[in-house]
Amino acid sequence: MPAPSYFEKEGVMELSWEIILMQVIMGLALGAIYVLLASGLSIIFGLLDVLNFAHGTFYMLGAYAMFTAISLCGNFWVGLVAAVVIVSLIGALFEMTLLKRLYGTDQIYPLLLCFGLGIFIPDIVKMIFGLIGKVVDYPSMLQGASFVGNLILPKYRIFLVVLMALVLLALYLFMKKTSIGMIIRAATRDRLMVNCLGINVSRVWTVGFMLGIGLAALAGAVAAPMVQTIPNMGDEMTVEAFVVVVIGGLGSLGGAALGGLILGQVVSFVSLLAPDWSNVSIFLTMALILVLRPRGLFGEEGRD
Amino acid sequence: MLLETKGVCKYFGGLKAVDQVDFTMEQGKLKSIIGPNGAGKTTFFNLVSGLYKPTHGQVIFQGRDVSRASMNERSQLGITKTYQITSIFPRLSVFENVRLSAQSRVSMFNSWRKAYSYSAMNNRTMEILDHVGLADQQGRIASELSHGEKRYLEIGIALATEPTILLLDEPTAGMSPAETVEATHLIRKLSNELKLTIILIEHDISVVMGISDEVMVLHEGKKLAEDTPAKISANETVQNVYLGKEA
Amino acid sequence: MSAKQNTQEVTAYKPYSWQAILEFRAMWVLLALGLVLPFVISKPLATEIMIYALFALAFNLMLGHTGIISFGHAGYLGAGAYAGAMVVYYGGVGVWVSLLAAMAGGTVIAVLIGLLAVKRKGAYFAMISLAIAQMLYFLALSPFKRWTDGEDSLKLPPLSVDFPFHIDLSDQLSLYYFVFVIVALAVLVQWRILSSPFGHALKGIRENEDRIRACGFNITRIKFLSIVYSGLFSGLAGGLLAIYLGAASITILFWMTSGIVVMQTVLGGTHTFMGPFIGTAVFLYLRNAISNYTDRWEMWVGAMFMALILLFPEGIWGTVMQKIGERRRPSAS
Repeated sequence: MPAPSYFEKEGVMELSWEIILMQVIMGLALGAIYVLLASGLSIIFGLLDVLNFAHGTFYMLGAYAMFTAISLCGNFWVGLVAAVVIVSLIGALFEMTLLKRLYGTDQIYPLLLCFGLGIFIPDIVKMIFGLIGKVVDYPSMLQGASFVGNLILPKYRIFLVVLMALVLLALYLFMKKTSIGMIIRAATRDRLMVNCLGINVSRVWTVGFMLGIGLAALAGAVAAPMVQTIPNMGDEMTVEAFVVVVIGGLGSLGGAALGGLILGQVVSFVSLLAPDWSNVSIFLTMALILVLRPRGLFGEEGRD
Repeated sequence: MLLETKGVCKYFGGLKAVDQVDFTMEQGKLKSIIGPNGAGKTTFFNLVSGLYKPTHGQVIFQGRDVSRASMNERSQLGITKTYQITSIFPRLSVFENVRLSAQSRVSMFNSWRKAYSYSAMNNRTMEILDHVGLADQQGRIASELSHGEKRYLEIGIALATEPTILLLDEPTAGMSPAETVEATHLIRKLSNELKLTIILIEHDISVVMGISDEVMVLHEGKKLAEDTPAKISANETVQNVYLGKEA
Repeated sequence: MSAKQNTQEVTAYKPYSWQAILEFRAMWVLLALGLVLPFVISKPLATEIMIYALFALAFNLMLGHTGIISFGHAGYLGAGAYAGAMVVYYGGVGVWVSLLAAMAGGTVIAVLIGLLAVKRKGAYFAMISLAIAQMLYFLALSPFKRWTDGEDSLKLPPLSVDFPFHIDLSDQLSLYYFVFVIVALAVLVQWRILSSPFGHALKGIRENEDRIRACGFNITRIKFLSIVYSGLFSGLAGGLLAIYLGAASITILFWMTSGIVVMQTVLGGTHTFMGPFIGTAVFLYLRNAISNYTDRWEMWVGAMFMALILLFPEGIWGTVMQKIGERRRPSAS
C-alpha cells in the first residue's frame, strides 16, 4: 500500500521542479556556510590536534564584527574584509597567549580551554551589544533575485555558493603551492618531522589557527544577513560543524566540503517536508553515516 | 613446531618491509632476529604479535593459523610482546603494573569482587617482580623508576600474561653497556628457569650472540641466514651486508 | 627453588597505594559531611549538590577513570529525567519504579552512543557524543513534543515514598535525606566497581591503551561497559533531578548540562575518585554566590575555568594529592 504523501495530507500542491531546484539552491547556500565553518575546524584539528570547541563562538564574533564594521563604514565588502581580519587577529591573540601553553599536554586540555572561551566570549558580547539581535543588511547589488524562466534565483544565495567555491579553490592553491601551505600540510601529517626541519613551528601553528578562525569568521560574516545575529548564535553552529567533520572524516578538507554540502541539502529538504525534524535530521544523518562508514566519508585509518 | 611463518610478507604501498620470510620456532628456545635498521625486524615482529596482518603468507601458532587474529586475541593465545619504546602504566604502582597484566588471564569484566582479593594473582605478581628484580620497588609509582628499571618492568608486564612465546623488541634499548650485560643475562635466565620460548630483536649483534640458541638475519625484508650464533658469525654473506657495514 | 620460596614469604605485597587509602578516607569524610550539609547551606542547594555530584562521579567513570572524553552526558541525565518523569506522569507509578526507569533511560542512551562511537578516540568521541545528545534535545523539543511537552517541562505531582516507610518528598529536608541516602549508596557502589578487576582495567586503558590491548584485554568491550555504567548512574541522577525539580525540563538535555558536568569534574580533579564530588560542591556554591551579584555568571565561570585549565589542570583535589605526593617523595626514597 502506498503511504500517503505529506503534501496530499496537508493539501499542498505537488512538488514542482521549480520548488525542488529552489530548495537545492537554499541547501547549497546553507551548505556553503557549513563548508566554510567546518573546513576551518578541520584545519585547526588536523594541524594542532585541538578540537576547537569555541569554533561557533568565532563564527558569532564574525557576524558581530561584520555588524560593527558595516555600521562604522557603511560598506558590506569593506565590512566583510574587516570582520575576517579582526576576528582572525583575536584568534591569533588567543592562540599565542593561552592555547600555545597547552600544546603537548593531553588532548583534553586544549579542548577544555576552547570550551571555556566559548562560554566566556558570548557573555562579553552580551555585555557590549545587549541581548537583542542585530540586523545586517544584504549588500545592495545582491538584494532580490534573478529570474530564469519560472526559476527564482536569490542573488545572495548564489553569491554564497560562488564564494565557497572560490574559498575552497584558494585553500587548495594555498596548501599546494605556497611554502607555508606545504608546511601546514606536512605538519598535519607529521608534526615531529616539521619540528626537525628547523622551521619555526610555533609560527606555523599560529598561522594555521588564524586561518581556521578566519574561515569561521567568514562563515559568520556572510551568514549574518540571513540569520539573526545574537550572542548565542554560535553554540549550535559548533555542534553542527562537528557533525560536518564527523560525516566527512576528521582532518580531511575534502570531507569537510562534501559533508557540509550533504548536510545543507538534508536540512533544506527536511525543513520543507517535515519542519519539526529539521534539527534532528542533522544528527540522524551523522548517525547513519557512522553506521555505514565508521570513519566518515573520507576518514583515514589510524586517524581517529 | 610452536610457531611457524610461511612465506610471510608485509607491504606498505610499494615498500616490501617483509618479503617471503619462512621462520620456525621450537618450544623453549631463545632465538634472535638481527639486521641493520630498516631490515624489517620490527615489522616481522609485529606480524607475529598481531599488530599487523600479513599481506601474503601465514603465521601458524601451535598448529593454528592465526594470521588474521588481532593482537589481544593472540595475547590470549600466548603470544606477548614488549615494546622497543618503554610502554608501561606510568601513574600506577609497580605492583599494579604487573598485577593488571596478570589479571588479563583471570578477569576483565568482574565489577564487584575486589581486584586485590585474588591471592593467586597477587602471588604470581610478586613472583614475577622477584624474577625481574623489582620486588622491593613494588610500591613505587612506575613513572618514578629509572630507565633500566622501567625496561625490567616492561618485561615483567609481558611475563605476567603467562606467555608461551615472549617477543622482546630491543629490550636493552637506551641502556648503558653495563646495564645491557645485566639485562641479557636476565633474559637468558628467564628462558632457562621459566622454560620460556623467547624471540629477541636486536640491531646490536654483540648483545645476542652470547645468549641465543639461534639467530636469524634479516636484510631488506628478506631472510639472509638462520643458524647458530657461531655459524652466523662465520657466515660470509652476513659479514658482508651486516658486520661489514657495522665495522 | 627453596630460595625462591623464601623470597615470596619475605616480600609480602602491599597493593594499596597511599592515594587509594587517602581517597577511601576522603570518601567517608565527605559522606559524613553530607549528613550535616543542609544545616550549613540551603536545603535545595544541598540537594542539588548531591544530585550533580552523583552525575559528575558517573561522568568521571568515563573521563577520569577510562580516559574517554564525553560531551554527551546531558543526554544520559536528560534521558534519566524524562524516563523517570514520564513513567510517573503517564504510568502513575511510584518513586522507586521511576528511579529504575531513569536508570534504564540513561543506560539505553549510553548503549546507543556506545554502539556508534566506542571505537572512536579522543576528540572524535567527544563530537559524536555531543551530537547524539543534541539530537535528543531537539527530539524532545519538537517532534516528540506531544509526549515531552517541549519547552514547557513535564510537570510532576507532589511525590512521596511509602516503602520501606513513609517519606514526604515535598518536604525539603526529607527530600534531601532521601536523595542523600541514594547518592551515598551509589557512590559506594561506584567505589566498589572501581576497585574491581573491571575498574582496574579501566585505569589501565586510561594509562596506556596500546599496552593494555597487548596484554590481552578486549578494550572495546571494557570501554563499552564503562559507558554503560556511566549512563546508568547518570540516569539515576537524572531521575533524582526530576524528583527534585518536580519536573523533567528541556534545559537538562541542553548541551550546557554536558559542559557543566565537565567543568565540575575538572574543577575537582579528573584523576581522582572524590574530585568530581568536591568540584560539584564548589562549582554550585560559587555559581549560587556569583549569580546573587550579577547576571553575567557565564563570563566569570568561563574565565575561571580557563584559568583553572592553565594553572591547575589537576583540579582542587588532584592538586592537593599532588602536593602531598611531593612532600612524601623525599622520605619514601
